[in-house]
Amino acid sequence: MSQKDIPVLKPDTPVILEMNRISKTFGAVTALVDVSIKLHQGEVLALVGDNGAGKSTLIKILSGFHHPDSGTIVYQGKEVHFRSPRDARAQGIETVYQDLALINDLSIYHNMFIGREYHKRVLGLKLLDNRKMRDLAQTYLNSLGIQIPSVNSTVDLLSGGQRQSVAVARSIYSSPTVLVLDEPLAALGVREGAHVLGLIQNLRRQRSVSIILIVHNYNQVFEVCDRINFLHSGEIALDASTSDTSEEQLIRIVKSGLGRQAIAAAAAEVEASTGSTSTNRL
Amino acid sequence: MPRRVGIALPDTAFERALVILSRYREASIAVVALVLAIYFQVGSNGAFLSSQELSVVLRDTGRFGLIAVAEVMLMITGEIDLSVGSTFSLAPYVMVLMSIGWGVPLALSAVAGILLGVLIGLVNGIITVRFRVPSLITTVGTFFLLQGVVVSIYNSQPIVAPVQEPFNEIFGENLYSPTDSLWSWHGLTAFTPFLWTLLVVLAMALVLNRTTFGLHTIATGSNIVGAREIGVRTDRIKVYNFMIAGAFAAAAGVINTTQFASADPLAGGPFLTLQAIAAAVIGGTSLLGGSGTAIGSLLGAFVVATLNNGLVMMGAQATVSDIYLGTAIVLAMILNVQVDRMRARRRV
Ligand SMILES: Nc1ncnc2c1ncn2[C@@H]1O[C@H](COP(=O)(O)OP(=O)(O)O)[C@@H](O)[C@H]1O
Ligand SMILES: [Mg+2]
Repeated sequence: MSQKDIPVLKPDTPVILEMNRISKTFGAVTALVDVSIKLHQGEVLALVGDNGAGKSTLIKILSGFHHPDSGTIVYQGKEVHFRSPRDARAQGIETVYQDLALINDLSIYHNMFIGREYHKRVLGLKLLDNRKMRDLAQTYLNSLGIQIPSVNSTVDLLSGGQRQSVAVARSIYSSPTVLVLDEPLAALGVREGAHVLGLIQNLRRQRSVSIILIVHNYNQVFEVCDRINFLHSGEIALDASTSDTSEEQLIRIVKSGLGRQAIAAAAAEVEASTGSTSTNRL
Repeated sequence: MPRRVGIALPDTAFERALVILSRYREASIAVVALVLAIYFQVGSNGAFLSSQELSVVLRDTGRFGLIAVAEVMLMITGEIDLSVGSTFSLAPYVMVLMSIGWGVPLALSAVAGILLGVLIGLVNGIITVRFRVPSLITTVGTFFLLQGVVVSIYNSQPIVAPVQEPFNEIFGENLYSPTDSLWSWHGLTAFTPFLWTLLVVLAMALVLNRTTFGLHTIATGSNIVGAREIGVRTDRIKVYNFMIAGAFAAAAGVINTTQFASADPLAGGPFLTLQAIAAAVIGGTSLLGGSGTAIGSLLGAFVVATLNNGLVMMGAQATVSDIYLGTAIVLAMILNVQVDRMRARRRV
């Protein structure tokens, strides 16, 4: 994966998605406090943070699975309210959830097309066009280089890596505008992980889809992302661009323990050394 | 050569049997039904497969099967409806009262009765998904509520139902007498409840396996969180299936009432609910959600009806058949759960 052939994002690249001051509590648990993120057209944004930082909750609000207590989502210039994941998918926001959202009792091809099934008319009845879905799924998975036994088998037959691949394939099949991947490398070995990172790098090269990539360990993603947001205790602690910040600097920030003050100090240091404004206030 | 990943070969004879059972779920219960029929045919010196007796067995099969296929759909979503026994009594009672009291044509009041069933299902569904009450509890509550309503309308009295042809002879009235040919309209009416149920079960098999609604029903029971995440409206799917259960229980009650030209507040009751669930379970549907068979529910209904009638015909006390039925349910449930668990471990 070389950075060289990746077109650089222009500074005036428009914002495609903005989540403003999102807060969310679950009973006594505060998951998010006033979190704001911005995603530019064609950008790959990595969302990094410890377990329980609120990453999954944030993107489940974006996908319409959760509803925020407060805050707004502006998508393609308009404020949107997704009542369910159905709404978000219909508007071109696809999500690969941490749990993958695969249905074990259904075949791979039904999993690929669930929620946007193909139909055919038989004697006036609207029936599933299984043959079409089977063929499309097989062709598409082959084209991505994903090795699976047969699209007819149920997904619980698949290895962790294969499951992850099917979930990713499902999410990019419809050419979404925004793609959200929640820890897509978690269940993968080194080789499989590299394959998924390669897929992401390919999408990034084309700059046609904007991606939010959640990762536990940002080491894996420095290569494939344009910007990194650190989420800590329900707040965005740092917003850094990978072109202005070196990997070593980021490592130092993370090693500082992700405490609010430590990050502020580290961020100030980065800012001073690069002279840029790529890092953010607390 | 791509290796089929994750599939181990069965090791023990028991596992091999489970593999066969799960691959041919309907076929294996069909074999059980056939063996039972042959057993009773031999044991009763040929009386079991006489047209008279068969009519009784298939009418019972129709009654249980119509409710059982709806339970199968609900059980696939991970829910259950125990109130069907009282919907079965209430809907035709209301139908007959409307017909007698207000002069509404029977066909029209039957539609009203079935709509009442749909409404009951809607209420069951909404209580279950909105207030997160387990359906096992919701529907025990509505069961008693509706049973209380139907017996208090007219002091538990059965009321004579009007006969309005051709409605009655199409929907359950038996015109068959031993002098009729079996291949006549009168002969056909001996089996109408069964034939209606057969039609509905085939339709539901199509719905389950070939429609988006069926796909989403399976998804809801198989992985409710995942299904929701990917945009399946799981609450709606559940509510619709409760409405189907209410409609089918009401329809079964209407057919039962036209058969006897009488609406009996005690026609359904808890026993009918349990017989329908027994049919669903014996037909190969477990309560774990995510899988089940519509065709199996009809075969299971036939097994329940055969056990009920066959043993009595052979001179046993009616209560003895419950021993066999109870045993059959427990064995079937153990098998269903084993098959489902094995499917989770290795696909067959
Ligand atoms: N459905 C839920 N109900 C209650 N608490 C939740 C729920 N989802 C997440 N949380 C809590 O919210 C916090 C953030 O969780 P999450 O968004 O999953 O973090 P991350 O994905 O960064 O590991 C955690 O404390 C978690 O326990
Ligand atoms: Mg998470």
